[in-house]
Amino acid sequence: MTLNVPSTDAGVADVMAILVLLTEFAMLRAPLLRSQVRLYAFQSLVVTGLAIFVATSRHIDELYVLALLTFVLKVVIVPGLVMRLLPDADVDLAESSILGVASMVLVAIAVAAFAFFAVGSLHVHSVALPTSALAIAAAVVLVAFVLIILRADVVSQAIGFFSLENGVSVASLVVAAGLPLVVEVAFLFDLLVAVVVFGVIMRVHHGRANSLSTEDLDRLKG
Amino acid sequence: MPALLVVIIVLPLAVAVITFFSPVRLAKVITVISGVVTFGLALTLIPEVVTHAQLREGSLLRIDSLSMVFLVATSFLYATTAIFAAGYLHLGQGKAGTRYGRRFYAGLNLFCWSMAAAPLVNGLALLWVAIEITTVVSALLVAIDDTDGATEASWKYVLIASLGLGIALFATIIMYYAGTTVFGSAYNLSYGKLLSGASHFSPDVVRLAFVLAVLGYGTKMGLFPVHTWLPDAHSEAPTPISALLSGSLLAISFYAILRYFQIAVRTIGPTFPRNTLLIFGIASLLLAALYLLSQRDLKRLLAYSSVEHMGILAIGMSFGAPVAVVGVLLHVLAHAAAKGTAFFGAGSVVRKFGTKDLGRIRGGIGALPWSGPMLVAAVLALSAMPPFGIFRSEFLIVSGGLSDSRDTVAAALVVLVTVAFFGLSWSTTQIMLSPDVSALPAGSAGSHPLSKGEVSPWIVVSMVIGLVALAILGVHLPSQLSQLLDHAARELGVPKR
Amino acid sequence: MGPSGIPPEGVQALQVLTIVAGAPLVSGVIAHVEGRLQGRRGPRILQPYYDLAKLFCKETVVPEQSSWVFMIGPVVAFGCYLIVPMLIPVLTTYGLPLGYMGDILGGGFILALAGFSVSLAGTETGAPYAQMGGSRAMTFGALIEPTILFVVFVVALITSTDLPYALSATVRSSASEIVRPGHVLVAIAFFLVVLVDTGRIPVETHSGTLEFGMIDEARTLEHSGSPLALLKWGAAMKQLILYTILINVFVAPWGLAASGSLGHVVLAIPALLGKAMLLGLVFAVIDNLFSKLRLFKITEFIAAAFLLAVLAVLVFYAGGG
Repeated sequence: MTLNVPSTDAGVADVMAILVLLTEFAMLRAPLLRSQVRLYAFQSLVVTGLAIFVATSRHIDELYVLALLTFVLKVVIVPGLVMRLLPDADVDLAESSILGVASMVLVAIAVAAFAFFAVGSLHVHSVALPTSALAIAAAVVLVAFVLIILRADVVSQAIGFFSLENGVSVASLVVAAGLPLVVEVAFLFDLLVAVVVFGVIMRVHHGRANSLSTEDLDRLKG
Repeated sequence: MPALLVVIIVLPLAVAVITFFSPVRLAKVITVISGVVTFGLALTLIPEVVTHAQLREGSLLRIDSLSMVFLVATSFLYATTAIFAAGYLHLGQGKAGTRYGRRFYAGLNLFCWSMAAAPLVNGLALLWVAIEITTVVSALLVAIDDTDGATEASWKYVLIASLGLGIALFATIIMYYAGTTVFGSAYNLSYGKLLSGASHFSPDVVRLAFVLAVLGYGTKMGLFPVHTWLPDAHSEAPTPISALLSGSLLAISFYAILRYFQIAVRTIGPTFPRNTLLIFGIASLLLAALYLLSQRDLKRLLAYSSVEHMGILAIGMSFGAPVAVVGVLLHVLAHAAAKGTAFFGAGSVVRKFGTKDLGRIRGGIGALPWSGPMLVAAVLALSAMPPFGIFRSEFLIVSGGLSDSRDTVAAALVVLVTVAFFGLSWSTTQIMLSPDVSALPAGSAGSHPLSKGEVSPWIVVSMVIGLVALAILGVHLPSQLSQLLDHAARELGVPKR
Repeated sequence: MGPSGIPPEGVQALQVLTIVAGAPLVSGVIAHVEGRLQGRRGPRILQPYYDLAKLFCKETVVPEQSSWVFMIGPVVAFGCYLIVPMLIPVLTTYGLPLGYMGDILGGGFILALAGFSVSLAGTETGAPYAQMGGSRAMTFGALIEPTILFVVFVVALITSTDLPYALSATVRSSASEIVRPGHVLVAIAFFLVVLVDTGRIPVETHSGTLEFGMIDEARTLEHSGSPLALLKWGAAMKQLILYTILINVFVAPWGLAASGSLGHVVLAIPALLGKAMLLGLVFAVIDNLFSKLRLFKITEFIAAAFLLAVLAVLVFYAGGG
């Protein structure tokens, strides 16, 4: 293992990426609908910051536009939409955990470690951001899976998917900073559509079951 | 002629908008027209594609032999499903019925538009966008019936499929990264570019991208172990949507995997991609064959049959012999026709008997003089009975496997397909041919004899079209089509260095 | 070493003395600030000194069933707290005589021994609350142990040693050392460890007697007189030692004496105490902002600290530490 001291730039970028990952961990135990949505908004904000950081340090002007769109969409519109579609903001989701919080964190740590080792074995080199950020992004994706699997409520599961997309965004900042803007915009637009659909189905579910739990979604088998 | 691509991509979208605002009666008619026209346009494109290898319109639209196959499959199902839906849909009177009809038709057209767009767009990124749109639209269509089952199925579907697509997005990003070593940091992900540079990509990175793509798009394709949404969504969706999901959507996801396959074989050689597909294929086929034996729900039965056929596609690609690849592509077409027809028949049965429970349906042939026998025929076609298309395609796949000296796999394929055949045909023949109505528990739908007669002539028409197409594919392939399949198989092959 | 220099042995003695004499002061400041934050006037800043003096004057009551362990525990603990300051950069940037006799792990062991002897002394009485406190303290001590180990790993990864002086020097060396994620994570993880080990909110309320939620404090319920004074003093010293490690090793190792000259060393004392009081302020604010976790939720808190420390190692592995 070589231990070069990363540059200040790389250090700041990595700290931001880690913040994204830590937010993902925080989602594992968020007790309220509102706190879950806020965590997502915060995570998106950090992703926005990371985009601006790459734009400044690598002089990629398109990323400013992307950062702006990310901010408007993921920090403002998506959380707003979710809150609007599910007005019961104080719903208690804490009981939806299948495991205790500490065990969940341990599982997620194991999964994140796997992501780190997997990416570490790839020898990826990036000009835009340190490679470790890619490992962190992969960890975000996998922890999002843990979140979705271990939380049995529709909000956590939906937010899990949205935050998974945040993880992929971080990855794209690392290895695909030059991705054409039109493609990025298409991705974001798709996310918006997905959010609306998630919201509609969540609302339908809430209307039918009068709860946000997925406990009773076990009728279809075989 | 490239302008036709624009027509194909604009027409269903425009129709979707119109149907949302027009009266339902009109929506029925223009949806049928749009479906038939789209299919016709796709057919007229075949000779063009065969002669020119690829057509491009602007930088966004492109079609080659490979995508042509999938466009034909999708547009065929668009047309037949539009016809079927015209007979299947029984709308309640008043506002609720109108609203349902509008939503249904707008959704149907939008769904078909997104599935037609997927093979037409040029590049992995746009492909992902198109497939993501298919997910969200079809999730709403699965939920449209607003029952407990439909809500549950649509939630599982949208969540699992979206996660799969999240992985697929990751694969897209990784593939983009693979290209940056050749094309610099800013380029677009168009196929031509990727294929031309693929041999210089980093093997490790491409391997990762390929595995992620198989896992991600495989989720939507219904490969084991990420198939879990599939039976629920197929059984709870309105039957026309089930047909589209099964015949077309799964195929489109397979198409996405093939695009990655195409790049991967150029970078890392054929062994790794083929083995990956083999593992997923065998597992899917095995699972589906076992579930088919013990299935109690007519539509779930057909859904697991889809898992089975997707497994066959994956195995077929793993053989690598050109004849097997031709078989795979033919299988895509034949499966679309057969599974569409089978679902149409199932829809007819469900409408007639008011239940999907296999234990409560008896004497189908007696009650449904046309669609009953045709459902049996479609199921036999799905089980690879001659003279239908699937027999030919599976024959090609197996012979490709034997010629590639993958005897064990080919034998396993034949055995598992036979098991699936038993499961599928046993259940179907029982509900269709057994006249023993008295054996059923009292009070069930079949216990009092139903009046003889079809639900709607439209359903019969759609099934006839499907069976005719299946027979054409099985008995005598049109020369243009067989050329198209050959070209497509060549595009998927390993280029000589 | 200048003409007015203090011999290294003297500086070392001064390090220990600073901790011994300064610890009650820091505790007093924190208690005062806390009072102010809660809208009270708060105790006098020097109150801990008065308390200690008062306790030393009082008679000592020993439970009948207890043995010599009960009496020796506080003394052992106090002795341990006298040794640890020699190993860590309290006043100087460089190691002093005996300063290299133990690394971070060694210091950790000595602190653990102190905690163990206090717990043992409490348990020995057979009194239910003291026993409960002792067993809880041991349990949470064991749970936080992996985190501390990972913190040590990261220190070792950064400096290739496990000497507190080396990390302190590395952090001072450049700005990129401060923002490197491994360092940030491990500093926060250690901050959480300090919260647990000093028995602060959200783990434990440190003031008042709330027997059911007590951990560390419950262990001393049976003691009185001068042993209690030693325990209280020891607790204050432990707190200042942990603060010193957090400050002078991880977060802000500035203001330390680079040589043995009188001026430098004398300036380093108020610098340390000032920084410790600032840190104490942070803890006081945390005290006010959060409520105590239920006992069974403390594992979540510890899991969070563990997560940070593990992430630090992982990021290192990925080459971004």
